[in-house]
Amino acid sequence: MTSNAFAALAHIQILVLPVGPIPRSTFEKYAAEIRTFDSIRLGDIPSGMKDERARFMPNPLSSGYLYLSYPSHPTPPSHLPLSLFRPSHFTLGIIGIAACSSSYSLASALEQFENTVLDISQDSSTFPLAKVCFAFEDEESAGNTGLGDTLSGIVSIPSMMGNKKLYIGTLLADLCSQILAEFGRMYQVLENPIGNEYLNSAIFPTLPSPSEIPLFQSNLHPYSSSPELDSSGLAPQSIPLKRSSTSGPGISHMASLAQRQSSLSPSVVKKRASAIGAVSSHGRLYKVLGDFFLLAGRTEEAGVWYAEAIVLFKTGQDLVWHASALEGLATISVLDAWSVGQGLQSSVSNSTIKEPWAEVYEQLSQAIAFYHKAPVSSELSQDYSLLALTYCTAVMRQTSLLFCIWSTKGWGALAFASMLQPGSTSYMQKMTSDSSWTNMERISTVSGVSRAQIANTVSQAHGPWLLHLGPHERVTTLRYMASIYSCLGYKRKEAFILREIISCIMDLIVCGREENDILRKSDVGSANIGNRPENGDEVIATGKGAVGMRQNEMVEGNQSILKLLGSACKVLGVDLEAVRVSKAADHTPTEAEGEDTESPSMKDLEDLTNAAKEPFGWPELQVGVVREAIAVAEALPDPLAVACISLSALRTMHSVLASGDQYHLHQTAGRALAVMRRRGDASTVEYWTGHPVTDVALLPLALHRLPIENACSILTAKSSMTNSLLTGITDPFLYNPRKSSGPQGKRLIVQGEPIELTITLRNPYVFDLEIQSIALSTTGVEFDCSPVSAVVIPANTFYPITLVGAAKTQGTLVFRGCIVQAPWGAAKEFLLPVSTDADENLFARRQSAVKCESGRTKYWGLDSRPWEKGERLTTLLPPLKKSPQFLQCVVVPEQPLLRIRWTSLTHGAVMLYNGEESNIRLTLENVSALPIDFLRLSFDDSTIGPAQEALSEGDLSVFETYETEYDLLHRRAFSWRNGKEITNIPPKQKVVLSVTCLGKVGCTHGTTHISYSLVNREHEKQVPTSEVFYTRQLSYPVTVTVYHMLECHDMSLIPMVDVDYDTGGWAGNSVTQVLSEVDDPTEWCLFTIDVRNTYGLPFGVTFQREQAGTKNTTVSSTVPPGSMSRIMLPVKKFRLSDNLISEPIPTLSDRQFVVGKSRLSIEEEQAQRELFWYREELLKIISARWKETNGDRHGDLSLRQQRLTLPMLRALRTDVVRVDLTLVANNPDDGSPHVVDYRGGKYLVRPNTMLYLRVEVANSTSLPLVMTLDLIVDPAEQVLSEGVLSNMALGKLESEETKAVEVPFYFLCTGRFEIGAEVRILDAPKSRRAGASRIRISVREDG
Amino acid sequence: MSHHLFLLSPSDTPIYSLTHYSTRLVQTTTSTLSSNLPTWSTSAFAGTLTALSGASSATQSHHVQGGGVRMGGGQDRHVIQMIANASLDVIEDVMRKESAMYLKSVDKFNEWTVSAFITPGNMKFILLHETKNDDGIRSFFHDVWELYLKTMLNPFHTAHSPIRSTVFDARVRASAKKYL
Repeated sequence: MTSNAFAALAHIQILVLPVGPIPRSTFEKYAAEIRTFDSIRLGDIPSGMKDERARFMPNPLSSGYLYLSYPSHPTPPSHLPLSLFRPSHFTLGIIGIAACSSSYSLASALEQFENTVLDISQDSSTFPLAKVCFAFEDEESAGNTGLGDTLSGIVSIPSMMGNKKLYIGTLLADLCSQILAEFGRMYQVLENPIGNEYLNSAIFPTLPSPSEIPLFQSNLHPYSSSPELDSSGLAPQSIPLKRSSTSGPGISHMASLAQRQSSLSPSVVKKRASAIGAVSSHGRLYKVLGDFFLLAGRTEEAGVWYAEAIVLFKTGQDLVWHASALEGLATISVLDAWSVGQGLQSSVSNSTIKEPWAEVYEQLSQAIAFYHKAPVSSELSQDYSLLALTYCTAVMRQTSLLFCIWSTKGWGALAFASMLQPGSTSYMQKMTSDSSWTNMERISTVSGVSRAQIANTVSQAHGPWLLHLGPHERVTTLRYMASIYSCLGYKRKEAFILREIISCIMDLIVCGREENDILRKSDVGSANIGNRPENGDEVIATGKGAVGMRQNEMVEGNQSILKLLGSACKVLGVDLEAVRVSKAADHTPTEAEGEDTESPSMKDLEDLTNAAKEPFGWPELQVGVVREAIAVAEALPDPLAVACISLSALRTMHSVLASGDQYHLHQTAGRALAVMRRRGDASTVEYWTGHPVTDVALLPLALHRLPIENACSILTAKSSMTNSLLTGITDPFLYNPRKSSGPQGKRLIVQGEPIELTITLRNPYVFDLEIQSIALSTTGVEFDCSPVSAVVIPANTFYPITLVGAAKTQGTLVFRGCIVQAPWGAAKEFLLPVSTDADENLFARRQSAVKCESGRTKYWGLDSRPWEKGERLTTLLPPLKKSPQFLQCVVVPEQPLLRIRWTSLTHGAVMLYNGEESNIRLTLENVSALPIDFLRLSFDDSTIGPAQEALSEGDLSVFETYETEYDLLHRRAFSWRNGKEITNIPPKQKVVLSVTCLGKVGCTHGTTHISYSLVNREHEKQVPTSEVFYTRQLSYPVTVTVYHMLECHDMSLIPMVDVDYDTGGWAGNSVTQVLSEVDDPTEWCLFTIDVRNTYGLPFGVTFQREQAGTKNTTVSSTVPPGSMSRIMLPVKKFRLSDNLISEPIPTLSDRQFVVGKSRLSIEEEQAQRELFWYREELLKIISARWKETNGDRHGDLSLRQQRLTLPMLRALRTDVVRVDLTLVANNPDDGSPHVVDYRGGKYLVRPNTMLYLRVEVANSTSLPLVMTLDLIVDPAEQVLSEGVLSNMALGKLESEETKAVEVPFYFLCTGRFEIGAEVRILDAPKSRRAGASRIRISVREDG
Repeated sequence: MSHHLFLLSPSDTPIYSLTHYSTRLVQTTTSTLSSNLPTWSTSAFAGTLTALSGASSATQSHHVQGGGVRMGGGQDRHVIQMIANASLDVIEDVMRKESAMYLKSVDKFNEWTVSAFITPGNMKFILLHETKNDDGIRSFFHDVWELYLKTMLNPFHTAHSPIRSTVFDARVRASAKKYL
């Protein structure tokens, strides 16, 4: 490998070769030993030659050095034209290393060495100038390898030799001596006019083969392999050349030279000078001389001759050679500086205004400029190639000058050392280890070289001329540039160059493959042609149908190309390793649940939260570089890498990829995976599409299967149905912490019964995404669920799929997430935590933190690449909780299952008349294998809700509240009368339930809930008695239609006294019959009500009176459709005790804290209570029923809508004081009083007759009362009476005492009169009427 | 002679780009080194190398594009973008040391010279040009900055969203015509 050392011009290159059967390790060991000699002191060089070969021999006691370098390859033959222009570019010496043993003799080693050298060196080449073979003796075969034989050209080193190193040093010095001697010979050839002519013949001249130069044939032996220059030539002493004194102009100098060279006759010189020298200047000759002196370590002479050459070049327009001489001068300056500073390790002070290296830099800049504008006359592509190579080398030289100064922190001994021997110093490594910007900047400040300066210098080498270079040189140049950029921390530029390197290498691989193809087809040679160190994995893609063969199992080459690609892409913000090769080749779910998958899964979660990321980088470049990466991986070919790269690109860049690109990448990945599969490659890629599962939801169980948790205590507790029915289920607390933490979050599923889960998958891509299998990942109870396979998610959609599974045992079941596997990929588990409120909060905080960061440009450039940013962000964000919550289910023990086998209803509908009762029969069947020992029914209907609502609102009056509550409690639409009958349903048995349904207006539908369970599980011994048991509920909805056909209106109670029932036969029979029992009209009142038939059918109505003290009486009437009937029924007056009526209106619901809202006065309240209690009593007495006239349907007629008014109450209630009015007239015959004729509720009197009204007041209470009497006559104008009629004092009446008052009356005209009497209790409120009575009088002439 | 302008957000994402072809003539100083280039390989990868090394622009007339990896047209757009992207290394380096907004000829690569303008908001305007036109470029950059600021006044516009305003585009083009 060409070394890029600054001082390469002064390096003598020596190639170290293995000879014969030598183990690699042994060779490496010896070669390393030789390579430790990177310089040889001039004083150590044996210089015993006298002839022209002694010209470049060192002066005795000179203090300089020869610098050696050991390339690993010989110079390629294409560089041969440089042999005179730049001898240092070639391997001047060759050392063979042979391991001699008993089986491998020295002679055979020598022969092989000679052959190898012949192979390497070209026919026309001058080089190598010297060669030697070292035969190292094995330890075990010491002594018998024939070391005693001294063959020329091979030096045997016995194994017992102690200080091998010293010996090798001596041998190396010998070799160098030979080389220096050969320099002398070469120069001698060039020195003569023909040689000089050749030297000036072209831009990069070569010496012709010896046969074409007959003149010097006898003198020239450089090509012969005669090893006459061995150590035996040490003896002659050298001829010292006093070059320091010969600094004159060229010709005289040449002359003086010629005089001293015995083998060069002056005539030849003259001839050359006159004939040929006129055309060709000596500039090139001097430059070659300078080169040789430089190589020989004699910098002083070299400098002199370079200067001479430059003087000549300035006029001669020989730009390339001029530039080369400048390069040589630059090298000399550094070498001189090195030898001066060698002893002292301290750096030379650089306090001078101009940097000490500025001159060197200038020289090199000049050289580069010359190279750049040098004209190339010939059309030979070789010249272009070589010129480009020298140009690039010069640029690299200048760069290494700057870089060495920069990396060693200044112009000093370290810098010189690194310029001379770049391998021995490790500054490059040191640089890359600490590549922070501050560190680099510090170095720049210290060294005085800025990084931009280095970068600008090295970028000169980059240009179209790279195409002129041979592949090896091109890669070398680019590699050098890349490493410089890398050391400078210029990552993007490095990536640029890396892409070029990759394309170079890939081009070589592809072309080499084609070459191989051709070779194989023509059956020529082995396939291992073509020097491709980078490509260890040569898969030879043969023609169609042929089987590819892998000749080399090494994959390092491919891997390193991919690594290069990866690092180049990373700089552009593309992470080619976002999808990696899965570690476990056999992907079993058990492994997926291992510990190591925990962290990636958690990271996925984090990714999910950090989804809002801003883009980095240049989308177009990213797409381009990804395409290129895929092309590279395909060309290698490495299908796994193709898959990884394309999937990574899809995963990380799908937001910037065009749809066409997405399709292409997807197809490419699929193809690559298929190829892998076909080849039997077991490795797979990770699952790649971000987080595909957005949601896992447990579908709710069907209602009849859903188990409901109940506390066991309700089994024993008395059911407080009324309360719950009246109040509804209302939570008295606004915030009930127990409720939320209770079983609400807990989902119940039943052991052994299938449940359904919906998994929502997401496909953000433009193509249909195929997923090979999706399985649930669960912990806890064993869950039996078969994975779904071959799901295709349509493009750009959310796609739900349903999984069915069953829990095997009871306990807790946790759904962690899903295990998803892409086709031919590895399975990966995705966790799906259920976010609690705290999580949501945290998530929101993280989101806002991310959002807060997103607008900022605190970190820019490469620091803002997603992965760098992500790391920083995680430190800022509040940490996620360690253990996320997952979807959790409680698996309850097996439950019996009941179903409704049959019902008596068709279509679940029932039609009722208002007040009608009907029975619904339900046949239930236990379809499970478990018995049922707990059965409970509850009902719901459409009237309950509104009533409960009205009650809970509390706006109702006390009376209305009572009515509503009564309705809820005593008139339920549905009820189960024989509730206690059925408790047990054995497996596979049926039972029949009968539910009563009552027609209530307003009821449209109702539901029967049948709760059942198996409570006593004694047979399951292992189950501990728990505090809860589970029931299932079966609901049977019924649609109810209630026809409202009879309406009751206008209930009224009339005092019987007022009833004019002298109406003969017009009233119905029943009425007259019931009226007949009325013995004393004052004791009775008449109950009347209108019944209207709003329906289309006639109904018979029956009112029944069941009153104590009277016999039961019924009144019936048929109400035709659309008409109204008045029902009349005499009711005996009664009086409730004061204790009873003073009681408040009861509330049926036992509600507490009912605040009395009535703003009624005490009296009003008293009246209300009185009305209430009398009404209740009346409704107890009178009941009404209806019956279909043309059928047998019947039912109750509710009177509860009727209101009792105060007049009705008066009619109904027996007065405190009984007042009897009697009209008495004196008998005209004997004056004895007699009761006036009374008929039809009226007294019949004649006008103008003296009458007496007898008022008998009887105190029926147990207390004595002081009363007054008022008499009201209507109309009063036509009646004469005696005394006052109002406030007549009756005095005090004891209990059960009766007092009579007679008032004379005189009716002045005929007509109808009424006389009313009212008894008031003294000291009582005015309204408080103790008793009253009325009579009607008909005054007629015929009386 | 062409100019390439890129407005890069702090995360290196281009939010605006412009290619301006100037009518001014450029004196071609092509080196002999870059002439007479060999067509050394026909593989797609050689195309990449040819493009990246700048050879395709040097030998535009007779070079046949063969690679499927290549993209863009004319002077290879992808390569131009690569160069602009790569020059960020130097720009970032320089801008950390110097506070100047206008970085004149901060980088050179292949035949391109890169000038940059860095706004206080860390927005980078990068101009690839072939000839020296210091004053023109400075004025151009100041114009673009002003236009950019006016765009940024839009409250809905963030530092990372691409500029799609046609007005902006038209004005930048006019400015380019005037100064470049």
